[in-house]
Amino acid sequence: MTFCPVCGLKFHSGDYRMLAEHFIEQSRLSDFRHVSWLNRNISKNLMKAEDLMFSLMAFYHISGGIKKWIINDFVKRFRGDSPHPFILAMQQYDPEVIRGYVVEHHHFLKQWIRSCSYVIAKTELDDVQSYELENIMTELHGYGASEPSHHELLIRMGESLGLERNFILAEKPLRQTAEAVKIWNELAASGSWISTMAAMHSLELIANRDLSTHGAKYAYFNPSILSDSRVPAAVKAFLMEGYEADVSHSYVALDFVEKYAENEDIEEIQYAYLRSAGAFSDYLEARLERGVMLGNK
Amino acid sequence: METNNTHGCALCDATWGEYYREIDGDRMFFCCNICADIFENMVLEVKKRKGWKNIDHIDLKGNFSSGRQCTARSGKETFNFYFRTYSDGRMMKFEER
Repeated sequence: MTFCPVCGLKFHSGDYRMLAEHFIEQSRLSDFRHVSWLNRNISKNLMKAEDLMFSLMAFYHISGGIKKWIINDFVKRFRGDSPHPFILAMQQYDPEVIRGYVVEHHHFLKQWIRSCSYVIAKTELDDVQSYELENIMTELHGYGASEPSHHELLIRMGESLGLERNFILAEKPLRQTAEAVKIWNELAASGSWISTMAAMHSLELIANRDLSTHGAKYAYFNPSILSDSRVPAAVKAFLMEGYEADVSHSYVALDFVEKYAENEDIEEIQYAYLRSAGAFSDYLEARLERGVMLGNK
Repeated sequence: METNNTHGCALCDATWGEYYREIDGDRMFFCCNICADIFENMVLEVKKRKGWKNIDHIDLKGNFSSGRQCTARSGKETFNFYFRTYSDGRMMKFEER
């Protein structure tokens, strides 16, 4: 099955001609989401359906495995020559940005464990289940006082910058975050375990230090933050945790995807990844907006 | 009003879409309503800051992720500014630069 990466409309497997026709029709309607996707992923120049079909085929073409395809797309989308605004904002220490990160990321992590739980529920594979169980423990539960969860480190980071724990836990997500969470939940509830695994764990590439070997031009954050005396220890502890963990997390998960993906899984994996990456982009904007809101208080 | 984007959308120069909006009496082409919203809000902000009644030309450089560095011209006056928006078109940052 081929899917529209924007609205999820389904077509016969490999039917890029119909997908191209769909995009052309949505362009005629000036639909913002479809036009924006074409502008950012294919070309800003109007094409005939047949030319667009070939461009879409090239976009989806996999050379070197699904893991490599996802990594290459992710780098371009978030950490390439034209990085996401959140990545640009993290190139210097800005407490306002970090505060926004804390409040919105709480909601991300809550959905994270839901999505990982769907993977566990939908697979019989012991290694995949063990991996996701360990991931849930690390992200939300932790291993006692000596190894607090990523979520706990997040809250402590917020507290070190003046946010109260109760505020972080009680504050409703901004619209972009809520919509992204809805997309991630729908992907996990309706999709296969392997597409969900790809959709979620690909997002950990955002903090992966090794991405420079895949063409990333920007680090997730400026590493000098970790040695900056102005930066609270709790901020450094949180950033360091992701800095160290996500190299292995994202690669190991994508290795599972690569290992277990059958040919008939590939289109759904690509679709789930693209929907997830699109939602993630909007969600990262919410971190910035929340930071501005908190900064103005 | 004219911009340096002479091929397509007045904001991003894309040639997808078929969206038109009248801005300051000119029927302008945009690829989508969000680009039109962004452009219209940007024009209003420039006019408010400079007290101009109309703008003759805007030169835009940049894109969605990096924001756009612009020069607006009204008669003999010019105004240099930078702006960036959220994906839904709302203004994230606007400053003289």
